[in-house]
Amino acid sequence: MSNVLTVRGLKKSYGAQMALAGIDFEVRAGEVFALIGPNGAGKTTTLRIVATLLTSSGGEITFLDHDLCKEPDFVREKISYLPEEAGAYKDMKGLDYLHFMANFYARTPEEEKEFVDRAVAITELGDRLKTKVGTYSKGMTRKLLLARALMTKPVLAILDEPTSGLDVLNALEVREIVRRYVKEGTSVLLSSHNMLEIEFLSDRVGLIDKGLILDTGTPTELKDKHQAKNMEEVFRSSLR
Amino acid sequence: MRRFTNLLKKEIKELVNKQLIISLAFTVIIFNFIGQVSKKEVRKAIGVQTISALDQDGSAASQALVKGLESARFKILDQSGKTKEEAIEAARTGESKLLLVIPAGFGASLTELKPSEIETYSFMRSFSLIGARGQVVVQSVITALNEALSNNFLKEKLPDMDPASLKKPIKSKDFVIVQDKMAEGSANDVAGMISQQSMLIPIVLFMIVIYSSQMVISAMAMEKQNKTLETLLTVPIKRTSIITAKMLAAGLIGLISAGVYMFSFKGMLGGIGEEAAKAGAQAGGGAALMQKLGLTFDTTGYVILGLSIFLAILVALAMAMILGVLAEDLRSAQYMIMPLMFMVMIPYFISIFADINAVSLPLKIFILAIPFSHPFMVSQNLYLGNYGMIAAGLGYMLLVFIVLVIFAARIFSTDKILTMKLRFGKKKAAVA
Repeated sequence: MSNVLTVRGLKKSYGAQMALAGIDFEVRAGEVFALIGPNGAGKTTTLRIVATLLTSSGGEITFLDHDLCKEPDFVREKISYLPEEAGAYKDMKGLDYLHFMANFYARTPEEEKEFVDRAVAITELGDRLKTKVGTYSKGMTRKLLLARALMTKPVLAILDEPTSGLDVLNALEVREIVRRYVKEGTSVLLSSHNMLEIEFLSDRVGLIDKGLILDTGTPTELKDKHQAKNMEEVFRSSLR
Repeated sequence: MRRFTNLLKKEIKELVNKQLIISLAFTVIIFNFIGQVSKKEVRKAIGVQTISALDQDGSAASQALVKGLESARFKILDQSGKTKEEAIEAARTGESKLLLVIPAGFGASLTELKPSEIETYSFMRSFSLIGARGQVVVQSVITALNEALSNNFLKEKLPDMDPASLKKPIKSKDFVIVQDKMAEGSANDVAGMISQQSMLIPIVLFMIVIYSSQMVISAMAMEKQNKTLETLLTVPIKRTSIITAKMLAAGLIGLISAGVYMFSFKGMLGGIGEEAAKAGAQAGGGAALMQKLGLTFDTTGYVILGLSIFLAILVALAMAMILGVLAEDLRSAQYMIMPLMFMVMIPYFISIFADINAVSLPLKIFILAIPFSHPFMVSQNLYLGNYGMIAAGLGYMLLVFIVLVIFAARIFSTDKILTMKLRFGKKKAAVA
């Protein structure tokens, strides 16, 4: 399986504070790769660098054989990023927001319609899309944003805590949507500290703490290696 | 281009919201209202005013004085037969703005060429300037009468002499020279007319700069507050396009808002300055003087002035963009406009009270370093033919704009767009 994204020796520091101390991982085509770790471990920083929001302090990132740091414009055409605390323009109607975002990626009006139709199907919000985003619940907004992230069928979707703050049913729905799109060819790099979510969603997992990757593998491999019943025990074991 | 247009449309739609339309409509209504009210007051003041007169003398001279007032469009309420106290009381309770008391012996004193006294009692029922106009007119009538009486007297005593020459043996004929042009007139009048002509420039500039800058800063703060900035920065559109779209949208809406504001403001001034049209002949004389001295703008002059204001707006927008990055939310965005406001206010006030070209060197350098000083100086420099100074000002503003845009683009293309923050009363934020 070829790599969509290859990260080698990635470092990031904010002044004297080291956020990433040289991490390595890769995301293969058609897989969900999850970074799990406690708050402040470096998950969001990693995702932001891959999403071309932040610059790295060292290391190499290759995206589809292109240097991500040197060709951010190329990368932005192929990826989509869903930040943990993302919002949408509150005065826009849901449908207008989707059209606005689709317009950045579509080359023709037909393509724009195709993207928006797909997003409408993902959200399952129906007529509520004709109302302003400011009136949506957190779950509705998150679904709208996820639909925005997946509607273009990006090569790589970068999802930071995709189910953060959602109730059980909404979180389940979001996970199902992500899995469905992976089947259609989108690779996913996500972060989470919800171990259950990771087991359900991820093909492979990278355990990250204090800016270092502690271990990488499929959930089954990691559980076997650490002789653990679940990912929470795996994580505790790897920290030791 | 499709992506840029997409973003520009969104920025414009975001700015043209209910609040903007309501505030603009409110401005138009309020200014129109003030204009109408002022117009009414001015009309009242210009129209026939009532004053009371108590002529205790009854001489030909006292009657001439009252007649003089009647011819100056006053309605005279005759209080003859009353005591002074009764007349004051009657005038106070009535609608008279002023009571004129001509004491007995007024005519006789005049004939004997002794100083003759009259008394005026002004009833101040309001403290507006228009309200006090009554006494000013009475004083000018008395001055005119004094003039006529003393002229008559001088003619009587010295029939071969011109009274005017006797009273003012020295006459001054004033000339004003501007560069190589000379015309008869007073320097005071010229300075007054120039300040009147260029009064609108600082107001227009101030309005557009404040409106547009506030919009840019708020637009950036909104992106941060609504957590939409990170998403916008990862979509396939150049960072410079994001900056340009935000600046262009704010510039356009700022220009329209300032236009509406100026239109309403002009309407209000038009209401107050009703008399201006009547003073047409006088203004015409002034205009002829300005024309002779070359103190008028031709098309090139207006183009240079427009260019200067346009560059100042661009500088303000670029500055606002950088300040907007520092704002974390809408609340802090309100503080961010302060440095810009001061930068416009400093040259504005200095240009009112002092000649920027004549201040001390350090102060001059300080003022010239503020890009917004240059549009204030353009009209003066155009009048005085300081084209080098104008070109330097335009060049300087262009340079500042380019540097600011490069700086803004750098901020947008690095981590600083997400990590640069300015918090009020708090220590530097930790980065997640």
